[in-house]
Amino acid sequence: MNDTTRDIHIHVPVLTRVEGEGALKIDVVDGAIQNLALHIYEPPRLFEKFVEDYECNQVIDMVARICGICPVAYQMSAVQAFESLFGFQPPDWVRDMRRAMYCGEWLQSHALHIHLLSAPDFLGFDSAIAMAADYPDAVRRGLELQSLGNDLIALFGGRSVHPVGVRVGGFYRAPRQDEVAALLQRLEAALPAAEALVGWTAGLEFPDDEQAFTSVAMSHPDEYAINQGNLISGQGLETEITFYESYFEEHQSPHSTALHSTLDERPYLVGPLARLNLNFHQLPKPVRKIMDGCGIPFPSHNMFHSIVARAIELHLAVYEAIRLLQNYHLPDEPYIPLKPREGNAFGCTEAPRGILWHRYDVDDRGMVRHARIVPPTSQNQWRIEEDIRLSLERFGLDNPDDALRMRAEQVIRNYDPCISCATHFLRLDVHRR
Amino acid sequence: MTRVLGVGSPFGADRLAWLAIDHLAGLGWKDCELVKLDRPGSRLVSYFHDVEQVVIIDAVRLSDQPGSVVAIDLERLQRLDYPTSSHGFGVAEAVALARQLGELPPRLHVLGIQTGEDVKQLPAVELQVLANLVSGYLDPAS
Repeated sequence: MNDTTRDIHIHVPVLTRVEGEGALKIDVVDGAIQNLALHIYEPPRLFEKFVEDYECNQVIDMVARICGICPVAYQMSAVQAFESLFGFQPPDWVRDMRRAMYCGEWLQSHALHIHLLSAPDFLGFDSAIAMAADYPDAVRRGLELQSLGNDLIALFGGRSVHPVGVRVGGFYRAPRQDEVAALLQRLEAALPAAEALVGWTAGLEFPDDEQAFTSVAMSHPDEYAINQGNLISGQGLETEITFYESYFEEHQSPHSTALHSTLDERPYLVGPLARLNLNFHQLPKPVRKIMDGCGIPFPSHNMFHSIVARAIELHLAVYEAIRLLQNYHLPDEPYIPLKPREGNAFGCTEAPRGILWHRYDVDDRGMVRHARIVPPTSQNQWRIEEDIRLSLERFGLDNPDDALRMRAEQVIRNYDPCISCATHFLRLDVHRR
Repeated sequence: MTRVLGVGSPFGADRLAWLAIDHLAGLGWKDCELVKLDRPGSRLVSYFHDVEQVVIIDAVRLSDQPGSVVAIDLERLQRLDYPTSSHGFGVAEAVALARQLGELPPRLHVLGIQTGEDVKQLPAVELQVLANLVSGYLDPAS
């Protein structure tokens, strides 16, 4: 090392029960970023082979194993794909309860990210544990909301991590009225905290970092899209999910096992901020009112506002779950048996981190012959890299390496990437010449 | 009431605590709730509520014999090169968070089951030692 080149190695070793690893390498030449590469090692690619030669309902349970934080999203995209292929339109009860279950996932995932992963960045703490000393009530609120979301998932899925309740044609089991009533009571009690959370996040201090980017999300004519709809973009695209592959491409990148997704050969954004930018006009009135009063203007092109977008969606999730469960009734049957059909099955839903697109080639016995899964993190990867570059240049590359690392980590955490997005997951190498 | 939490995942030696829970379930203890948890992360804190005593069992990598069972005091827990859960929130972090929030149960014990160097392999666990340790927590007079 000489006085013009500095290396920093901040290393979290790979241990058991770590979902993945992220690393960032930046080359700074003459005060400008010349090379920037975000390394991601992503497991879902392996699952595409694992699920071959398994029957549809087995696949629904298998894909839930891809992610411990958003298993419902994987199940919902898969079941939507199979049911669509088999010509099945879920009845209202199934549709509503799946949306309620999905609200549980948004609730737990957003609560975790806001309170334990992202807020410490904004408040100047290196971890949620340190933050808990000064903000115990905020951390408790996060844990309680997260727990409530998990219990809502478990209500329909039997358990919150890798749930098993969803099947082709409906659910394996319909929750009892008393189970639903008990959870409904807790959701109603949590609504004020969810409302207050929006203002709390909006009161954080945000860097001024407007950037031009294209938002991509699902859109549904009747509701804020979660588990149904077409694909839309901020550039005017609207297409059915079946045509995803006609517009979105994936490219191999030498520095990552995750593929880079592009739209019109450009990076794009998926996730809470993209959804809110495109669909905020469909928020239910009480949720919209809180959003309008929070002081952050949406649509926004400042990625640091994603924590506020996440809080607004958390409020939406609680509100929607209450609305859906208030109308709960026991169905005659929790599912309708379906006859498999050969063909190409397409599914797409809004995982907490953005659109999760599935394609399955299925034979006439309902066995999966080929699968393609495009998770949100790979779709955001190029956008994250672009954002880091712009953010660090605006932040100032002459800042100390530690400050650069912290800012880069915060930028990456704005996307809530589903790798081992630990508080310090980033190994950063800065080379200055 | 005592709650015994087996923390793990379906992968390799990370299952050790679940196997331990299966063994304890066969002993028919009363006033003892046995729970298997799959990478609970920060959710672990919620299992500290409404109970007098909690015993956490988890796989650890120490320098002891693979399969051996060790009681880990809370100070040592924080210093361990400890396997982390999703989002980097493992048992040590969850216990530290609960302590910071004043939400530790009145009595908390942590038992580690030693993995081998190859964490894909399941070592033979000292189940009798484990059962004796937990039994001692349930009935300190014994």
